[in-house]
Amino acid sequence: MNIFLRELKANLKSLLIWSGIIILLIILAVAKFSAFAGDPATIKMLDSMPPGLLAAFGLNAFNMTTISGFYGVMFIYFALMAAIAAAMWGSESISKEERNKTVEFSLVLPVSRSRVVTAKALAALVNCILFVLITWGASLVAVQPYKPDAAYYQFLLLEMQGMFFIELIFLAVGLLLGCVMKRYKLSGSTAVAIILTAYFLSIVTAMDKSLDWLKYLTPFKYFDAGTLFRTGKLDPAYMLLSAAIIVVCLAMAYVVYNRRDLYI
Amino acid sequence: MSVIEVNQLTKYYGKSRGIVDVTFNVEEGEIFGFIGPNGAGKSTTIRLLLSLIHPTSGSAKVFGMDVVSRGPEIRRDIGYLPSEVYYYEGMKVIDLLKYSASFYPGDHTQRIQELSETMELELHRRISDLSYGNKKKVGIVQGLLHSPKLLFLDEPTSGLDPLMQRKFFDLIRKENTRGVTVFFSSHILGEVQRLCTRVGIIREGRIVEISNIRTLQQNNYKKVSLTVDGSNPLSFDMPGVTNLQAENGTVHFFFKGDINAVLQKISSVQVTDVTIEEPTLEEIFMHYYE
Repeated sequence: MNIFLRELKANLKSLLIWSGIIILLIILAVAKFSAFAGDPATIKMLDSMPPGLLAAFGLNAFNMTTISGFYGVMFIYFALMAAIAAAMWGSESISKEERNKTVEFSLVLPVSRSRVVTAKALAALVNCILFVLITWGASLVAVQPYKPDAAYYQFLLLEMQGMFFIELIFLAVGLLLGCVMKRYKLSGSTAVAIILTAYFLSIVTAMDKSLDWLKYLTPFKYFDAGTLFRTGKLDPAYMLLSAAIIVVCLAMAYVVYNRRDLYI
Repeated sequence: MSVIEVNQLTKYYGKSRGIVDVTFNVEEGEIFGFIGPNGAGKSTTIRLLLSLIHPTSGSAKVFGMDVVSRGPEIRRDIGYLPSEVYYYEGMKVIDLLKYSASFYPGDHTQRIQELSETMELELHRRISDLSYGNKKKVGIVQGLLHSPKLLFLDEPTSGLDPLMQRKFFDLIRKENTRGVTVFFSSHILGEVQRLCTRVGIIREGRIVEISNIRTLQQNNYKKVSLTVDGSNPLSFDMPGVTNLQAENGTVHFFFKGDINAVLQKISSVQVTDVTIEEPTLEEIFMHYYE
């Protein structure tokens, strides 16, 4: 409990910064939306673009002139930020002890390494939950001028669930990197590289039917906004796949961290 | 009863040597000195015993328990003062000490007060504002606050001024009389001689000698330097003298044996200056194993 609480406190600053960024993003995006809102010229302009490009950025699934459609297009950016924040929280919470050389204190206390990882993972999880709630809350407030309908609220709820799953996946990936990589300086940047690769894959896979199989490699496609909008629910198969990824990452993280030498 | 049993403990970091085939025991209630030059493997040995790192081969037990499989249990009764102390920078000293205390059963508030009074530690400063020596004091209080049965001290005096060093040694002696076993690692022979009953000498990852401190002292070399007027330096070539060097009227040599013999010799010649000092550890090593 004491490690968990100390970790929460240490993570607070980072949570505030990330929350500030996402709130700003939402405010700016919604301000931008006022230019498209109900404007037929926007639809015309989009229709003139090549379909491959539209598909790549998920613009073909949505009507950009409605707030729901606009939020559908915005989702990938929320997901991207959530993924980076979660992965950083995961990898940092483990690797910072080695970087700041505090392992010689924190792991000489009478605690097992598993207990340390669990406490840190839970603290990072709290950050992830709060981050989704803040994104949700900020969205609800920001869109009020456009008087959204009930469908918007439902879709937003669905998006937030998807965002939470993406957070969980990358939190587990981040923890794994923090636990496994002896070169602790690289764990944060490796996490970001993995996320950007996954994002890039999610763009590529939408561009051509022959690349469709790539969707299994990128969690951003498991919770694709277009699909969420069309089906109105999270795909159970992808939820299962996500859970599998999370379990495997966590199991490896615990096993390796218990066995490896700490870098001092 | 042996508190620490180390059996052919070996650690390689990849291909580079940490320690090789280290075997020794530390008995309950003793102050065991662990001495060797920088990079000899002192910290590696301690970190293996604390299960911060894992052995390549061999085994070690603390309180009769294997260090690899029962680390958390062992660490309940261990206090550790690393050679360089690093704590969470943003925390206040008192908060850090309370945080540390929260991992050990019982109430340690009074002990924190007593220890920090002894070490003149200011409890309400931020760790990041502390000097190196003051951080070391935090380390001392943190390592002792839960009244451990076994203390690991890794070059504990670096950064402490002489007055604090003395207070620290008094503190360690007091703990020792309460029955606390102390594992004292250092590269300064003098402080090991002041405190320890038995020493292990480690060099290039291997134990080269484990002996009583008295035996070691009797085998000890003195480094003698003289400034002599006109006398023949070779007249100092007597039993027990090694490495005799003379230039421009100064004479240097190492001496091992009855110090009175040398003093008589010195008083028989006209000298303008004399120093007799402890050789550095490196110098001892060089001569000890020639």
